[in-house]
Amino acid sequence: MDHKPQVPIWDIPIRLFHWSVVLLLCISWFSADQGYMRIHLVSGLTLLALLLFRIAWGLVGSTTARFSDFLHPPRRVAAYLKSLAGGERILHAGHNPAGGLMVLALIAVLLAQVATGLFANDGVRFHGPLALLVSEDFSTRLTNIHGLIFDLILILVWCHVVAVGFYLLVKGDNLVWPMITGKKSRAQLPPELNIVFTRLYIAMLLLAVSAGVAAWIMIQGESIL
Amino acid sequence: MMADREDQVCSHLDLLKTQSDTRRHFLGWGAGGLGALFMNGAMAAPSGENAPLNFNRNPATPLSVLPPQFPAKVKRVIYLHMGGSPSQLELFDHKPILAKFHGHDCPESFIQGKRLAFIQGIPKLLGPMFPFHRAGKSGTWISDRLPHLEGAIDDLCVIKSMKTDQFNHAPAQLLVHTGDPRTGHASLGSWVTYGLGSENQNLPGFIVLISNGGTTANAGKPLWGSGFLPSVYQGVACRSAGEPVLFLDNPKSVSRDERRKVLDAVDEINQQTYREFGNPETVTRIAQYEMAFRMQLEASDAMNIHREPKAVLERYGAEPGKTSYANNCLVARRLAERGVRYIQLYHWGWDSHGTPVDEGLNVGLVKRCHETDQPTAALLADLKARGLLEDTLIVWGGEFGRTPMWENRGGQEMEFIGRDHHPNCFSIWLAGGGIKPGISYGETDDMGYEIAHNPVELRDLHATMLYLLGFDYRRLNYPYQGLDQKLTGVKPARIVSEILA
Amino acid sequence: MAGDSGISGRRSGHLSASVYFGCVGLVTLAGTGLAMLARPAFGHDMLQWIGLESVPQAQASSFYAIRVAPLFETRCAVCHGDKRQKSDLRLDSFASVLRGGKHGAVIIPSDTKNSELAIRIFLPASDDRAMPPDGKTPLTEDEKTVIKLWIAHGATGSLRDIPGAPKPVAEIVIPELDLAQVEKKRAPLVAEVARLQGRFPGVVAYEAQDSADLEINASLKGASFGDADLQALAPLAARVVGANLSGTGVSDASAPVLATMTRLKNLRLSGTKVSDTAIRALEGAKALRSVTVVDTKVTVGALAPLRARGVTVYGDGDGP
Repeated sequence: MDHKPQVPIWDIPIRLFHWSVVLLLCISWFSADQGYMRIHLVSGLTLLALLLFRIAWGLVGSTTARFSDFLHPPRRVAAYLKSLAGGERILHAGHNPAGGLMVLALIAVLLAQVATGLFANDGVRFHGPLALLVSEDFSTRLTNIHGLIFDLILILVWCHVVAVGFYLLVKGDNLVWPMITGKKSRAQLPPELNIVFTRLYIAMLLLAVSAGVAAWIMIQGESIL
Repeated sequence: MMADREDQVCSHLDLLKTQSDTRRHFLGWGAGGLGALFMNGAMAAPSGENAPLNFNRNPATPLSVLPPQFPAKVKRVIYLHMGGSPSQLELFDHKPILAKFHGHDCPESFIQGKRLAFIQGIPKLLGPMFPFHRAGKSGTWISDRLPHLEGAIDDLCVIKSMKTDQFNHAPAQLLVHTGDPRTGHASLGSWVTYGLGSENQNLPGFIVLISNGGTTANAGKPLWGSGFLPSVYQGVACRSAGEPVLFLDNPKSVSRDERRKVLDAVDEINQQTYREFGNPETVTRIAQYEMAFRMQLEASDAMNIHREPKAVLERYGAEPGKTSYANNCLVARRLAERGVRYIQLYHWGWDSHGTPVDEGLNVGLVKRCHETDQPTAALLADLKARGLLEDTLIVWGGEFGRTPMWENRGGQEMEFIGRDHHPNCFSIWLAGGGIKPGISYGETDDMGYEIAHNPVELRDLHATMLYLLGFDYRRLNYPYQGLDQKLTGVKPARIVSEILA
Repeated sequence: MAGDSGISGRRSGHLSASVYFGCVGLVTLAGTGLAMLARPAFGHDMLQWIGLESVPQAQASSFYAIRVAPLFETRCAVCHGDKRQKSDLRLDSFASVLRGGKHGAVIIPSDTKNSELAIRIFLPASDDRAMPPDGKTPLTEDEKTVIKLWIAHGATGSLRDIPGAPKPVAEIVIPELDLAQVEKKRAPLVAEVARLQGRFPGVVAYEAQDSADLEINASLKGASFGDADLQALAPLAARVVGANLSGTGVSDASAPVLATMTRLKNLRLSGTKVSDTAIRALEGAKALRSVTVVDTKVTVGALAPLRARGVTVYGDGDGP
């Protein structure tokens, strides 16, 4: 880390969200593998709450958190990728256009995973909270999809890690540290910066609502907890 | 003047009629109508292996014969229930190795973590009290306590690996006869008469005869109750001495014709009620009154064994005028001949704990065998001679087994020898149509404690019985409390094909 | 822009993109390789996909195909088959049985002690790992023995006979009830049956809901049911499979009608006035299985031909 001036770009909710998801993914994977289905259920529902929060935050959160900040039409994505390969690299605060696509893909896939998980069943003892609302056949099909999406998640996570590694080892741009401290060195940021941070209490409100929705789903359905 | 008076009466009647059509009626019909509309749309007709068959009948003849789903092997059932549970180790399950360990302390593994009905502490092992031998051409093992039954051993199929999960009499008996250890479920006889009706419309389709136990077995009348099935299918407990059903006959001053007139009047009122409210139970109530009227003639004759030839009475050991198992067996044969669909006999007193003398293995069991051996064998022989055995199913058994341990109530040694309740394994036998004769099925371990081969759950027995009667046990069902209720319950059952001919 | 010099000019301490992605490629391959090692089943899949391994097949006449595969199909494939692959294990084909699942092979040929499948099917129902799990129909003792013997004899797809294997039990298959089919079968005589059911209530009934055959039971009518009444049922004779005329008023005059009941399986004539004439009329009933003639004038001689062809006779004093 150099001593050039550090600018805050990632707010606390984004950072907490990112690393919580990492942790919860690990917990979900491990608990499913070892058969600790109650932990898997709790971990999955927590992920659901966080994802709902992230989507809401993507609409009203800080500048770098908003979808409008990092989701761009394909032409801009192509232009950015070209700038990476050669020529002047376009700098971004927050997610760059390619990274933005990754974020979108990950959120979408994780949401699909949580959604199919709600309806999944293991044929014997355990089932997701909403599994009894659909026919057994449908639930089984969703369970199989839940398994397939897991493989997709692994691939996407690998791509994400490779990409971050690329920036770190090839471009010399450490993306991991800013996701922890929230600050990036001025040199790595575009000259025009206009980052507005939304108040923390709004985040807490949104999180509470998301948690409420997840809890409501759990209570509505029949769970094994 | 008269016309005015009539008008007044008519308008008064109109007023009464209007008043009787209260808001309650309107709301009732309204809700019922809406409900019917909803049900028609929302409820998809079940299909496939669990789709119920059509048991619709004219409510005026609720016991009319319905054909079974597929051609049946048997047309009627006689169930001989030995209440209290006979000791399989003294009758059918030969355990020579247990005999070697007689008097030794019971191994820890037998009692650790298990709940026993009355045994406490560490009991001793109890070897078989009576000698066993192979009998008949089939070489089936049997003790020396049932010499008459031995004569029919080549007709029997002995199942030694029955299992249950109930160790108290009432819930265990309910499990045997209704498929569920709690009350509220329909009994076997009710299911059978619901599915098949009864050949004789002048007698109940499901008759219960009890001996040696007052008027009821442990679990009481729910054992032959109809549960959630329409009440017309419940069993009728008949007395085998005197009037078959109390107050069946008219009082002395009332002739049959007068009775008929009373019934006609009651019928008309009930018919009117039915037209107003449409409750099918009203019609079955009418049917029951009519059945009772017909029974006055036929039941007394059917249950009357006075006119049986002396030779027959002697073969059964029956004594007209008394209540006994022998009499009940003879009545059972007569009822079978007269087209009664399900005949249930209960004989109490097999609960050989060894507490009172009448329940010890060395005394009580001996007496019970003596009371039941000859009549049971006579019943089998009689049915066979008349060509009825080939389409009748006979089942004999208790509700659970007895422990290989010597019962020590309160941890004390007891005066008379006994065994405690043992749900893990027990023996029953079957005979009749569709059953492979002269075989044993299932084995228990050397100590007679657990089943070693081919366990048979009670629901498997039920599924097999229903199969012989011509039903897929999954399709003989009745919607109640949101579930298509079956005799066999919600767990899958297995038809024990190995015992079928 | 400050700092960055594009991909061509490398900053000191940084990798070139090609080196980086080259390493990534190697790591990915290594990871896949490790995954294949850790999940042998995955390894088999890859090798068979490439073509380095042949897909094992079982012969149609092998012990596996005839005795073991049906068991896997009915008891296991619900959770280990087409719809669901618990623990990535499929048991609905010979190849997948040998392939195993997430934790490796479940069958070690000739080694029942260490074959996970053999271990699990013998666990008590209370054990969490028991298969099939509690709630599903369990395997019978004989079925477990069949599977164990097959594994012990090498788990092959070619072995035909295993001496000492328990004999297969005839599975009870209850035919599906096709009401449309039944209606068709009953159609030719349906009006006649309905008419006669109306005339003789409780006497004529279909043998079963899936059958067009009929059963006659007039025994409860007693003497009021006589030859003329049986004659009235003559149009149905070809369909009658069972007739209970015990205690009725029929006599030898009904012999001609009885003769037309060629599909009769059982016949009851106890306590009637019939004699040998009626019995001789049963010559043509090739499907006859039992006859009851208690309290009749039928002689042993007339019953001999029936006995000779295996018909069970009740009630002639000699016993069945």
